[in-house]
Order: sequence, then C-alpha cells, then structure tokens
Amino acid sequence: MAVITVDKLCKRYESMTAPAVKDVDFIVADREFMVLLGPSGCGKSTVLRMIAGLEPITSGTVSIDGRVVNQVPAKARDIAMVFQSYALYPHMTVFDNLAFGLRRRDVGRTEIDRRVHAAAVKLGLAELLKRKPHALSGGQRQRVALGRAIVRDPKVFLFDEPLSNLDAALRVTTRNELIKQQHEIGTTSIYVTHDQVEAMTMGDRICIMNQGEVVQIGRPLEVYRNPTDTFVARFLGNPPMNLLKGRLDAKDGVAVAHFAGSVIVLPKRAASSLVRYVGRDVIIGIRPEDLYETAPPGGPVPIARSPARVVAVEPLGAETLLVVALDVSSDELIARIGRDTALRNGDRFDIAIDTTAIHLFDPATTKAIV
Amino acid sequence: MSISGRLSRFARRNSARPEIDARRAGIGILVVFLAPALLIYAGFTIYPVLRTFYNAFHAIKPHGVVEFVGLGNFTALLLADSIFWKAVSNTAIFTIVATIVDVFGGLLLALCLFARAPLAPLLRVVWFTPVLMSYVVVGIVWVWIYDYDWGLANAVLHWLGLGAYEQSWLGHPSTALSSVLVAHVWKWLGFNMIVFLAALHALPAEVLGAAELDNCGWLAKLVYIIIPMLRATIVNLLVLSFIGKMMVFDLIWIMTGGGPLWSTETVSTYVYKRAFEWNTFDLGYPSAIAVLWFIIILAFIAIMTRLLRQRDRLEF
Amino acid sequence: MATQMRLGFAQLRRLPLVLFVVLYSVVSGGPFLWVATMSLRTTAEIFKNPYGVPSPVHWEKFADAWTKSNYSTYFWNSATVVVVAVALVTVIGSMAAHCLARYRFRGNRFVRFLILSGLVLPPQLLILALFQILLDLDLYNTLTGLVIVYVATHIAMTVYILEGFFAQIPQDLFDAARMDGYSDFEIFWRVTMPIGAPAIFTTVTLNFIILWNEFLFAVVLLTDDAKRTLPLGIMHFTGSHQLDVGMVATGLMIAILPIILIYAFFSEAMIKGMTAGAVR
Repeated sequence: MAVITVDKLCKRYESMTAPAVKDVDFIVADREFMVLLGPSGCGKSTVLRMIAGLEPITSGTVSIDGRVVNQVPAKARDIAMVFQSYALYPHMTVFDNLAFGLRRRDVGRTEIDRRVHAAAVKLGLAELLKRKPHALSGGQRQRVALGRAIVRDPKVFLFDEPLSNLDAALRVTTRNELIKQQHEIGTTSIYVTHDQVEAMTMGDRICIMNQGEVVQIGRPLEVYRNPTDTFVARFLGNPPMNLLKGRLDAKDGVAVAHFAGSVIVLPKRAASSLVRYVGRDVIIGIRPEDLYETAPPGGPVPIARSPARVVAVEPLGAETLLVVALDVSSDELIARIGRDTALRNGDRFDIAIDTTAIHLFDPATTKAIV
Repeated sequence: MSISGRLSRFARRNSARPEIDARRAGIGILVVFLAPALLIYAGFTIYPVLRTFYNAFHAIKPHGVVEFVGLGNFTALLLADSIFWKAVSNTAIFTIVATIVDVFGGLLLALCLFARAPLAPLLRVVWFTPVLMSYVVVGIVWVWIYDYDWGLANAVLHWLGLGAYEQSWLGHPSTALSSVLVAHVWKWLGFNMIVFLAALHALPAEVLGAAELDNCGWLAKLVYIIIPMLRATIVNLLVLSFIGKMMVFDLIWIMTGGGPLWSTETVSTYVYKRAFEWNTFDLGYPSAIAVLWFIIILAFIAIMTRLLRQRDRLEF
Repeated sequence: MATQMRLGFAQLRRLPLVLFVVLYSVVSGGPFLWVATMSLRTTAEIFKNPYGVPSPVHWEKFADAWTKSNYSTYFWNSATVVVVAVALVTVIGSMAAHCLARYRFRGNRFVRFLILSGLVLPPQLLILALFQILLDLDLYNTLTGLVIVYVATHIAMTVYILEGFFAQIPQDLFDAARMDGYSDFEIFWRVTMPIGAPAIFTTVTLNFIILWNEFLFAVVLLTDDAKRTLPLGIMHFTGSHQLDVGMVATGLMIAILPIILIYAFFSEAMIKGMTAGAVR
C-alpha cells in the first residue's frame, strides 16, 4: 500500500540560474507503475532522487501515503531503488549484495536467507549466488540490481534508467521480464527513462517532462494520440510526428487547413473550437503512419492528396520509411508505409494523408489546439 | 546577534536535514572523518612551518630565550656567510646534474626494457631494488666502494689498467661531490625507469605501428614520436626529481657529512649542522636558511611547471 | 636452446643493447652481492682478499650481530614505530580522503589545498620547529613523538593517493547503501574501505618502505641508544665497529634481507606503491 504524492516540487542548484525542477505535480496511485519520460537533463532523475531522499528538496513536498517525507532520511522512507549503473558492490558476492539491504532492517538470518533465495530463484540467479559482480554478464548484473530491490519488499520501487546499459536484444527481454515481475509484485513504482518504447510498453501512466517541468501525464496511448504540445508530439513516436506550417480557415462552417498546396477539410473538428485560429498560422502535425502511398486499406477514410517526390527510401523489413518532399512547400515528411512499395528514389506520386489524424498546434505556445 | 544565537543557528542549519542530501557533510561527519587528520596535520606540519617562519626572524637560544632580530638572520646569511654560498652552489650543481642524469638515465633504461631486452620482466624488478634500500644502507655500501685501499671503484680501475686514476674518492674535495652524486643516481635511476616504462606501455600501439609503416627508424621513432608523447611524464619526473634533489640530506650526511672542506656541504646538511652540530645554540639562523630555501624551491617549481608544461594536454 | 644460440643478424644488431643491459645489471646488483659475500666472511678474510667467495661460510656472524649488539632493539623499535604509524596514517588518511572525495562542505577546497600542500614541504622546514615542539610537549626522544611526526608528515601523500581513487567510486554505490539504511560511518567502513582496498594497500606499502628507511626525523628526534630505529642503529653500529668491516656487512645484510624477502613476494605491489605518486 503506497500512494506517492508530489506537490509543487522544485529543485534549484546554487550554481545554476534556472531551476532544475519546477513545480512538478503528480500522484502515483497504489500499485501503479508510473514512468517519468523525458530527454536527458530534463530533471526526471532529480525528481526521482528527491523522492528517494538522496537530494534535498528546494520547495514543494513529497508525500507517501499522505505523510510528508521531506525531512525523512532515505533509509526511513522504505523505498528501494534500482540504479542505472546497478550500483552493485564489487567486493561482495551476489548473495551479500542481495542481503546487504536486509542486514540493517531487523530481519533475522534465516529470514534473510529465505528471502534472498526466493528472489534469486524468481530472477534466475540461484546458481550465481556465490559469484561476484565482475563475473556476471550485463543482464545478470541487472537482475541482481532488481533482486536487491525486491528482497527489501519496500513500499515503493524507484527505477533510474535500469535498462539503458543493456544491449538492444537484452533490453527487450529484460523489459518484458520487468513487466511480468511488476504485475506479480504490484508494488507502487516510479520508473525514469528517456526511451519512449520503454515508457509506452511499461507504464500504466506516463509523465513527460521537459526542462524541469511536467508537460503531460496520461496513459500511454492517450498521450500518444493526444499530445499536449509539439514537444510531446515529437518525443513520442519513432520516427517522430511530422510538423508543417499551415493556415486555418473556415469554409461553409467547416474547418479547413491550407497546407501542402491544398485545402484540406478537417473532419471531426467542430469549427467552433477553432474560431480563434481562423485566418491564422498553425502548426499541422501528421504521424508517419497516417501517411499512405495509396488509399489506406480497410474502409473509407477521409483522404487528402498532395503531389510529392521521394527523397529517400529506408526499407526496415516489416515496413518501409519514405522521406518525401512536397512539391509546393518543399517541406520534407517521413511516411511509414507497407514493406512492398515499389517506390524508388526520385519517383513522383501523390501522397495520401489521413485527414482524421491531423493534429493542430498553436505556433506561439506550441500547445495543441483542441 | 549573540554568540550562542549564532551557534544555535549554525547548528540548526547544519543539522536540520543532515541525511537528505547524501553529499553534504554535516558537522558530525566533518568531526569524525576530517578532524583527526586535520588536527594532527595542523599541529605537526602546519604549526611547525609557521613556527619556522617565526624562528627565522628571531634568535632562538636555549632556555626559552627569544630575541627579535628582524631580517638580521637573512642579511647575515646572504652577505656574510661564505659557507652558505658554498652549500648553495654545491646543491645547485648536485640538483641540476642529478636531475638530468636521473630522468634521462631512467628513460634510457626504460627504453632498453621496452625494446624487449632479454629477461626484461626480471630486470625491471632487479633494477628497482636500490630504490627500496635506505640511504643508510646505500651510503655505507658506497663508502666502501669508494674506499681507497680495498674499494670496488679503485679495484675496477686497477683491473682495467687505469691504476693511475685510483684515488680517495670521498676524501678529496675535487671528487667528493661527484662521487656522492653517482651513489645518489644509482639509488634513484630505477624509480624513473619504472615510471617511464609504465608511460611507454601506456602509449597506444597503433601510433607506434603507424610510425613503423611510415618507415621510421628506431631513432626517428624515439625523437619524433616517443619523446614528444612522453612529455608530460618527463616534466613530471623532472619536477619531482628536482624537488627531491634540492632537499638532499641523508646520503650526503651519511657518506661525507658535508666534507671534506665543505666540498659536499648542501643547504640541508648546513641547516642541520647549524642547528644541532655547531655549538651556536641558535635555531633562528638555520630556520632562516630553511625558509629562504623553501621559497626558492617554490619559485623554481612554479617556473619549471610554467616553462615546461604544455598548454594543451595530448589526447591519445 | 639451439635456435637461441645461433646469432642471426637481428640478434647481432641487438648486441649493444644486451651488453648494456648486462653491464647495468652488474652495476645495480653487484654492490648487494658484494655485501652479501662480506657478510659471511670475517674481517681478516676480507682484508686479505675483498672480493673472494665465502669459504668457510660464517653463518654464525648473523647470530653474533643480532645478540652482541643492540640490533634486536633497533629492529623492534623500527617495527613498532612503523607499524603503529602506518596503521594510524592509513586510518586517519583514508577517513579524510573519503570525506574530501565524497562530501560537499564549506571549505572543502581550502582543506584539500592545505593538506595537499604538504606534498611540497621540505622536511628541513619542519624539523627545527618539530624539535622545539616535541621538547615542549615532553615527546622529544620518545617513540610516541616520532610516530606522531611520521603520521603528520605522511598524511599529505596518503590523502593525495586515496582521494584520487575514492573519487572514482560511483556515487550510486553510496546512494544505494544509504537507501538500505547504512550510516555514514558504516558506508565508509563497508563500501569505501573494501572497494578502495587496492589503493589503501598501495599507500600502506609506500608508507611502510619510506618510514622503515626514514633517517632525518629519527636522527633529530631520538638520542637514546635504546630508542634508535634501525637506520640510526646501523649508523651507530657502523660507527662503533668502523674497522670491523665484516661485522658491519653482516649488520647491513640484516637490514637489507627483510626488504629483499618482502620484495621477492610482493615486488609488483612495492613497485606500484613507491611510484604511486608519480605514475598517472
């Protein structure tokens, strides 16, 4: 049972003028897996360290189960943390690494033994208990780091980019392993990462941070579908969302966008909500998967077409990425299309745009227009 | 604000969140971890230094008699003490020659082993042995080597048919300083060799290989590749060796005691003599010598590092 | 073997190198061999032929040197002073190094500068005042006083080496231990010390060799024969047996042998220790 409440959390370093973390608010529900996502230097690790009690809080509060813990030292918060570098003690065996955290917590010897062995079996470390960290592979070290948090059976797990030191293949399997563990144990967790795939696949909710501030919080697909500003739009999704300059207008009571050399009717958009922007410049956002070589398969979707030229073809196997230059605006777009395309460099074709999937952003504030 | 008020404020500031910031040290941590070292260091290193500076401006006689003499010690030293100047010139000669021979001799030895001389790993260990010996041992052994009647030095000359050069090496003012210098170099060559060898092995093999592809002979490789890349190590050792030689005491004290006829007197042996051997009973005068010499050493270190150190570090 | 005996052109070119190496080995090792032979011969034999092989071998000279002079006293004085001083300087120095490497506090840079400036202080600058200070404190001519001076004068090098090493231990390890409930001192004891063991071992070796050989402080601060450390004892023994070269050689061997023995087993550690301040 643990609910973490972060309220107006700020961190200011004496040496820097801008605060490293500014007015961060969020609540992590009991048994929830919250991901803090953002580029490096956005303050997400600082938030984590303030929750852990490793970093003093400039202002604001961190509460666990309603109790403000700002003044509670790290060891008394009943939190376990998995570090990016794993922080395994090089001079101790795997067993001692796992047991180290229990020896200060009034846990009996037999109980320590039991818990360490249980965790080791669960994580597939049972054969390695007598080894030292330098004799382990990267994946094994990562599991020891995880095990060290699990044996503690804490109220809260904190993860600080725990997968970023693994190679790509191992990262995927370990990620799935972690998700499985999390579902079994169900401890409230906060997970810091800069990897959007990890965030999308692991988080119950994602909290996206940029330059010390929270930009958006929500469930993964919700955030993906409705990015709150251009930062989130570009940060989530690979390749990132295409952003183009355009103009908004109203025609016969329907919102239309002038861009890519054509006038595109925006369906599903009540013109009323867009009134303020009529006649003004906007940023048009289109995800690569909403662009098509021909009409999209599976039913009638409102389509707009624009003449374009292929600049680069990147066949990835399961799909192909196209970089295309629009004839009229010379904007470049990235499109994700089927793997069987016959298009080659320099080919011309009319690119199809799913107009229901168009995002609009205010160029002044970069916020989404809804 | 009252002192107690300040103190309690100070205590509050330092104890309010003692454990939240893992890296900020509270008073307790400083007391436990740092105070022992600081106290003993302050009491028996910093305080003595300050007291020596104080002494330098006073005449320190037995039974607590202390007399302020201003710059008197220094003027006497600089203007009227011919032995001091003899000691300075001896120390200067010793320092310059021994530093250069030590560092470049060490480099030569290191290069021999680096060029895969037979038994290199063993020789590396053997050649280092003299470094571990105390000055007392080295000094006594070399006194024997220089013995006129049965010493090794004269025996070797005799054996080589150079009997005409046999002499009392430490007994004559013209040879004593160089003889002590040889013994000193003998002790320290191995040290410089090891440091150079480590630096040589740290050189990237690709660069040396590339030089070979460029058809570089070993001499060209040494002059154009190896020595420039070892520059930092060379400077480091020159400064280190220089500091050591400027303070040279033990070996000279053990082998010649500064004699004969002041021919091996160094600044350090002279300080010792004036303080504890001569019955002048004044610690002020030798303190003035020590202070002056310390300032000169500092000045030379500053000049050397400025002249020799490269602005940009080599990246490899 | 046969292939090595045939000197090819390449080997011939290496001949000067080999000759030089052999020559220097004789120069650096010869004096020790010479003292070793003399230590097993009587003075009369030595004066008859200084470079002869010991025959008969006079092992009993070692027992004589040990029992008929104060050698055992000197040896135990040295052992006591060095062991206590090295232990103290290691503990005190590593705590200070841990504090400087791991914590931020007001004056951190100043304290670091103060301690590290000890690296360039000539002993001559300290020795006169230390003589006065130990007299004031009634510690002159005591082993305790010498231990204190040894600790104080070797803190700088110890902290310099250890701080550089400790600073490289990742902060995450300390954060993890802190979250696991360990106190600052436990973290030092259970994390810094074991992980820093190689560096600590290096400073122990370095301090041990330097202090075992130390002469200047000892000669100024000790006067009683019963308090002399080994280097002073050897000097004294040599002075009083000046003409008995054979006996002095035996005395020297007693001083040399422990170091050679330790060196035979721990040569790499000793080399690393002695050059720790210069190699980077």
